[in-house]
Amino acid sequence: MFRWAARRWMSNVPEGAVYGGPREQSLGRRVTLGQLRQKQRRGEAITMVTAYDYPSAVHVDRAGVDVCLVGDSAAMAVDSAVRMLKEGGMDAIKLEGAAPSRITAAKAIVEAGIAVMGHVGLTPQAISVLGGFRPQGKTVESAIKVVETALALQKAGCFSIVLECVPAPVAAAATKALEIPTIGIGAGPFCSGQVLVYHDLLGMLQHPHHAKVTPKFCKQFGHVGDAINKALSEYKQEVESRSFPGPAHTPYRISDADVDGFLNELQKMGLSEAATAAAAAAENVETAGRSSEDNNCS
Amino acid sequence: MFRWAARRWMSNVPEGAVYGGPREQSLGRRVTLGQLRQKQRRGEAITMVTAYDYPSAVHVDRAGVDVCLVGDSAAMVVHGHDTTLPIPLDLMLAHCRAVARGAPRPLLVGDLPFGSYESSPSQAVDSAVRMLKEGGMDAIKLEGAAPSRITAAKAIVEAGIAVMGHVGLTPQAISVLGGFRPQGKTVESAIKVVETALALQKAGCFSIVLECVPAPVAAAATKALEIPTIGIGAGPFCSGQVLVYHDLLGMLQHPHHAKVTPKFCKQFGHVGDAINKALSEYKQEVESRSFPGPAHTPYRISDADVDGFLNELQKMGLSEAATAAAAAAENVETAGRSSEDNNCS
Repeated sequence: MFRWAARRWMSNVPEGAVYGGPREQSLGRRVTLGQLRQKQRRGEAITMVTAYDYPSAVHVDRAGVDVCLVGDSAAMAVDSAVRMLKEGGMDAIKLEGAAPSRITAAKAIVEAGIAVMGHVGLTPQAISVLGGFRPQGKTVESAIKVVETALALQKAGCFSIVLECVPAPVAAAATKALEIPTIGIGAGPFCSGQVLVYHDLLGMLQHPHHAKVTPKFCKQFGHVGDAINKALSEYKQEVESRSFPGPAHTPYRISDADVDGFLNELQKMGLSEAATAAAAAAENVETAGRSSEDNNCS
Repeated sequence: MFRWAARRWMSNVPEGAVYGGPREQSLGRRVTLGQLRQKQRRGEAITMVTAYDYPSAVHVDRAGVDVCLVGDSAAMVVHGHDTTLPIPLDLMLAHCRAVARGAPRPLLVGDLPFGSYESSPSQAVDSAVRMLKEGGMDAIKLEGAAPSRITAAKAIVEAGIAVMGHVGLTPQAISVLGGFRPQGKTVESAIKVVETALALQKAGCFSIVLECVPAPVAAAATKALEIPTIGIGAGPFCSGQVLVYHDLLGMLQHPHHAKVTPKFCKQFGHVGDAINKALSEYKQEVESRSFPGPAHTPYRISDADVDGFLNELQKMGLSEAATAAAAAAENVETAGRSSEDNNCS
C-alpha cells in the first residue's frame, strides 16, 4: 500500500531517466513505511529528528536518521494534507490530538491515500485547553485515554503514533498495545523510536547570555550555539581589526596594465584621491601576494 | 533625517509603556544609520552578517554585529536552490519577520528579491514598503546600477525608506553576467563600478555593497564615496565587510557533502561537523537504547495511579500492555533510586 513512497514520482524526474540531470537520483533509497515496520519487528529503535530547511535537512539525511519531521503547522484536513504531499514534497503527514473529530480527519486523510502519523499525550497545538505545555497521562483516567486514543488512531489507519510527554509506564503500555510503532519524546525508553527537535538536540539556541530553556527530556548532543557565537565573535573581531580579509581571501585580480588605465580614467574624472587609494591598494595587494607566495601560503 | 530609526515605533508597543508586556524594550538600542556613519568617520570597520530565521538572528545580534542582512541568498542556503532567483517576496517577508523577532539590536536590512522591483519604480516602492511594514526591516538592499535601478533607488528613498545599493557581482543578474563571475577586472568595468556607486549615492543610498571586485577597485570606490562601502570578496579597503552566515560558520560542511565555500570566505567555525557529530551520537544512543536514560525521563505517575492504570488495562483485555507498564514502572523506579544514590541529574 505504501510502496509508492519508495519511488519518488517527481514530475521533473522521469523514473530511471539517464537525462534526469546532475542531481543524484535517490530512487529506491528513500526510507519506506515497510522499512520502519521491519525495524520495529526486529526491535530496532526508529530515529526521528525535525528539520525546517535545506541545511538541517542535509544534516539529518547525512546522519542516517530514519524519519525527518518538518515540524508543525495548522490543523490538518484532507486539503491541507494533499498540499503537504503535492506542494511540500512530503511522504506522510502528522496530525495532533485524539478527539473524535481528529480521528475522523485521520481516517479521511488515509482514505485519500496519504500516510498519517498520529500524535497523543501532550499536543502542543492544544495548549489553550491544556493550560500550557503540561505532561499528560499522570492520572489513571488520563493514562487510559492515551492508550485508547492511540488504538483509535491505529484503527483509523495511522502508520505510527508520536507519544509526547507522558510517564514511561504509560508509553510502555501504549507501545505494547499497538501493532504500529510509537515514536516517543519525553516519554521514556520503551517506545519503538524517539524524536527530538533539531535545535534542542544541537543546543543551537544556547548562548552565554541567552540560554533558551531546553526541555528537560531533551539531551543536548552538541553545543552548536556556543560554536556559532565563538565563530561570529571572531569574525567581528577580525573585521574590526582589519585582519579579515587578508590576502588569502582577496582573490580577484586586475592586471597592472588595467590598473594603470583605471588610474588614468579616475584622474580624468577628477577623482584623484580615489586614484591614489587604488594605487596604494594595488601595491599592497601585490606585496602581500608576493610574501604569501614566498611563504608558500594559500 | 534618519533619527526615526533610533526609535522603533511598533504599533503594539507604545513608547515607554509599562504595560508593553514581557518583551524587553529595546528602544534606543537599535543600531542607527548615524552610528554607522560615525563608525565610518572614526575609521572603524562596519560588520554585517546575513540571517534568515530566529536562531540565526539571535546569534548575529548577540555577537554584536552592526548590520543584519536578510539576504536573498536564503534561496540558496535555506531553500537549497542553485541561484538566488527563485525566492518570492512573500517568502522573504516571512524570513524577515523571523529575523526581526530575534535581533532587536542590529540594523536590519532586507534584500528585495529578483522580480520584486525591476518592472517599475512603483513596483519597487511597493515591495520596499512591504519589507518595512510586513517584514519589520529598517532598510532595504537592491542590486544593480542600470538607470532603471538608480531610478528605483531614488523613488524608494523618496518614499522614506533607507536604501543600501549593491554593485560589482550582482547575483540576481547571473543570466546576463554568465555566472557568478567577479567584476571590475577591466578598465571599463572598473570605472563602471565607481561611477555606478557614485550614482547610487546621488540617488540617496546610505551605503553600497561591493561584491567580488579586485581590491584596488573597491579601494577607489570607497575613497570616492562619502557613504560607507561594505565588501564581500572585495578586499580589505572597504568601510566594512559582509559574509553569508552559513559560509562563515561552515554550516554546510559535512564529511561527505562539502558545499563549496566561496574562496573569499573564511570559515570561522566548523559548525557542520559539530552538527554531524551530534546527530550521529543521537542516532547511536537511540538505537542502543541508552537515550533516553533516567535523566531524560522526567514525567512520573504515582504508584497508586500505576495500580489503577494496570487494573483498567486488564479490564480492557490489554494484559500484555499491563505487564509492560508494570515492568516499566519498576524499571523507572529502580533507575530513579540508583540515580539518586549516585547523586545524578
